[in-house]
Amino acid sequence: MPVALAYEDGTIRIDGRHDSLDGLPFVERDDRTDTYRAPAYRYPDLRAHLETFDVPVEDSVPDWERISVRSDYVLRDYQRDALDAWTDARRRGVVELPTGSGKTVLGIKAIESVDQSALVVVPTVDLLVQWRDELDAEFDCDVGQLGGGTQELEPVTVSTYDSAYLRADELGDHFGLVVYDECHHLGGEGFREIARFSAAPARLGLTATFERPDHAHETVETLVGDVVYRLSPDDLAGDHLAEYAVKRVDVPLTDEERERYDDAQGTFVEYLRTSNLSFSSGSDYMELVKRSGSDPRAREALLAKQEARRIVSESENKIRELERILDRHRGDRIIVFTASTDLVYRLSERFLLPAITHETNTAERRDFLDAFRDGTYSRIVTANVLDEGVDVPDANVAVVLAGSGSEREFTQRLGRVLRPKDDGGRALLYELVSADTAEENVADRRR
Amino acid sequence: MLTKDLLRVTRAGGGYTPRFTENAALAARVLGVYQGHRGETRGALADALDDLEGEAEDFKLVRGFAKLLDRDAVFETQSAVRPERARELAFREGERLGVVTDAERETALERASETLDTTPDALADALYADLDARQVLVDFDPRWDADALVSQYNLSLAQTALFDAVELRVETSEPRDLVLAVKRLGLLYEIEKTENGRVVVLTGPDAVFRKTRRYGTRFARLLRSVVNAEEFRVEATIDDRGTERTMVLTDDDPLRPPGVEPVVDVSYDSDVERDFATRFESLDLDWALEREPDFLDAGDHVMIPDFAFTHRYGDVRVYFEIMGFWTPEYVEKKLAQLDATEENLVVAVDESLGVGEDIEARDHRVVTYAGTVRVKDVVDVLRDHEADIVADAAADLPDELTPDDDVLDLDAYADRLGVPVDAVEDRAFPEHELVGRTLVRPAVLETLADDIDAGQSLDEAEDALDDYGLTDASAVLARLGYRVEWDGLTGGTVREK
Repeated sequence: MPVALAYEDGTIRIDGRHDSLDGLPFVERDDRTDTYRAPAYRYPDLRAHLETFDVPVEDSVPDWERISVRSDYVLRDYQRDALDAWTDARRRGVVELPTGSGKTVLGIKAIESVDQSALVVVPTVDLLVQWRDELDAEFDCDVGQLGGGTQELEPVTVSTYDSAYLRADELGDHFGLVVYDECHHLGGEGFREIARFSAAPARLGLTATFERPDHAHETVETLVGDVVYRLSPDDLAGDHLAEYAVKRVDVPLTDEERERYDDAQGTFVEYLRTSNLSFSSGSDYMELVKRSGSDPRAREALLAKQEARRIVSESENKIRELERILDRHRGDRIIVFTASTDLVYRLSERFLLPAITHETNTAERRDFLDAFRDGTYSRIVTANVLDEGVDVPDANVAVVLAGSGSEREFTQRLGRVLRPKDDGGRALLYELVSADTAEENVADRRR
Repeated sequence: MLTKDLLRVTRAGGGYTPRFTENAALAARVLGVYQGHRGETRGALADALDDLEGEAEDFKLVRGFAKLLDRDAVFETQSAVRPERARELAFREGERLGVVTDAERETALERASETLDTTPDALADALYADLDARQVLVDFDPRWDADALVSQYNLSLAQTALFDAVELRVETSEPRDLVLAVKRLGLLYEIEKTENGRVVVLTGPDAVFRKTRRYGTRFARLLRSVVNAEEFRVEATIDDRGTERTMVLTDDDPLRPPGVEPVVDVSYDSDVERDFATRFESLDLDWALEREPDFLDAGDHVMIPDFAFTHRYGDVRVYFEIMGFWTPEYVEKKLAQLDATEENLVVAVDESLGVGEDIEARDHRVVTYAGTVRVKDVVDVLRDHEADIVADAAADLPDELTPDDDVLDLDAYADRLGVPVDAVEDRAFPEHELVGRTLVRPAVLETLADDIDAGQSLDEAEDALDDYGLTDASAVLARLGYRVEWDGLTGGTVREK
């Protein structure tokens, strides 16, 4: 009797018995349906297993189709090596390349080489738009989009991690290849289900920073495959990427801000002193948030901490300092990063800068990015939403107003200005830090 | 539903209980804040709510109420110039001048406003008039008053708690509604028999590999239909940041959606069912009829038969399903379910379906019908089960029965013993004589023989019998060798036979 395989909501349902199934570590007996079941990502392993035992199989899992697409891209040497390494690893695995080294091109070439319905999963709406434009331009087929206010499914589709997560049960059998851009996101507990629920035999992870302190990348390796190719920024610096320099500017608070800051910080510290939170780790912050639900003092402390942060990140003198930097760099291409959207709008209104935040709609953000790329705009301000992968070519000055202390975020941002300049000049990154505040520690920590 | 950050639960005693509220006064204040901010910005509204949060017992309660009221609040962008247009022009002029100083900003705004025939200030105000916080509350027409808002809040709170559920165990007085909702939501169920009855255990396909919160939002949506039942109990396993906790919700909790009364009336799926139930209940049988009685485990699916018959004495339950004319897929599915269940089932099949034999092949009893189900056909099947019950009951009774009573009705005696009367009838009664349907001690008969004489009126004879609680006068008189000479319809005289 043949064994029948069917895709069912992120799992492979196995009807019919075969003795060898009972011993398989990734197959479970499911009494609810009187069948066996495997997680969808194990589909290729399951097929291989049944083949070894010569079990006849009725397989209705693949709901993907053959496509035929070609792009005009020619791969650079290291891109070619990366694609070959991935193909040799039975089309599974992660490629780690620095920001700006052309991961999108690699993804497009992978889609060409597999020739089956493909899904590209990306972390931000900016990347969604960018990938979609790129695929539309290169491929002679309709390109679907899930996310950014649109839900259209096509044989080649780009999706945000959020949309792919929400629809994971239903999408898992539609694609023969899934490309996970910035694939370290798959380490997150929710997002990993996107890959768990996918039966796609071919999987490609793309990232600039794969390893994570929480070891979540090990999960990604299980779901997508091991790192098959890796290149560090140093390998590319001076070759494809520009040199860069960092300038740190200490900016004092105004007297009035200093008073409000000390007051707020004092409330916060006083609470810490009388509670047993040390704030040496992120979990203490979560604990404070949790307590604030029932404990008015904790809530007061939390609000005070937020107020202190706001004073520092929106300090009047930082805006003055930014004024000086903008003045000094008239004629340069400048991106300004801030920690809060409120500040983005203040700067946008003050300097009449095009602004991009999570609230900016798709059409307008595309207009602004296009206009920045083609030189219509030489300045742009944003609240961290351009962190990852978004292709903003030829910016040579970045200004960071109060960032958070995460190592990853910092290198991603540096990557934003690591673009070859026409005149070969060095790129500059300004970091504006408030003197004598908690913010300084954050800036020190990432050195 | 609320967002997870607004969840309020207590974990006292290791449990997980939503903190339901009765605070209609606070609900009314939140409503008032919205009503008082018509014509003001969302930012101003948010500030006012912030102030209220500071005074309230729990700021999350205020935010929860606000979250629900937001659905009925209409915000609009109000500006002299369309903001996107304002930005485009202002940024282009800003780029041209490379705005750094305030003076440069003024110039750029002036130039941009000229194109639009407006003032620089109006243009500056329009730049971000479409931001959420700067939109204006133009309309607020709440669907709930303060009490209804409290009800809705409580239901939403329980739903929000279910976001983190990995498994649900549900009992309900409306099983069919539950099963429909479960199917609609793509969940999987198992039936578990417990002391209190059958429980539906709900999870999703992926749950066979790991506990997952993936189905939490579906559980939350399911709750919306579960709370419509008159009786329900939901036991949820909650993944509380890695710790497993149990949350129990029942019809005692304040979970009724506002303005909705629980469904109490029995509803029937078809006229055939209603008709059958009415006619069956008019017969006075030893079988109690129950509608949609149970979940039966039927392999891949759960099956809810239309009826169950439970015998008054025997521990016997016979399920009854009426299969009307339907699609071939329906018939196919039903047959598969019948295949998979091991319970006693009687299936009434519309003649035109022609599947009677298929069902009998699955060890179930079949009655066919055209138009209406003949109650007699069903009763015949029940009789067969009854014969078994009698046999079982009789097996437990001693061969000789010696009740203490002088006079005892046979049916009443069977009732007292909790067995069908058939089981009592063929026993021996060494201390009694069976007169008609009544057990009588010989001593009683002897006394009566002395008290009753030929020529007495029937009334006098019946009074004598009444003293012993004997009601079947003709049977006793016959036993004593008398007959009744009737005089008119009621009166008569006792005569020798």
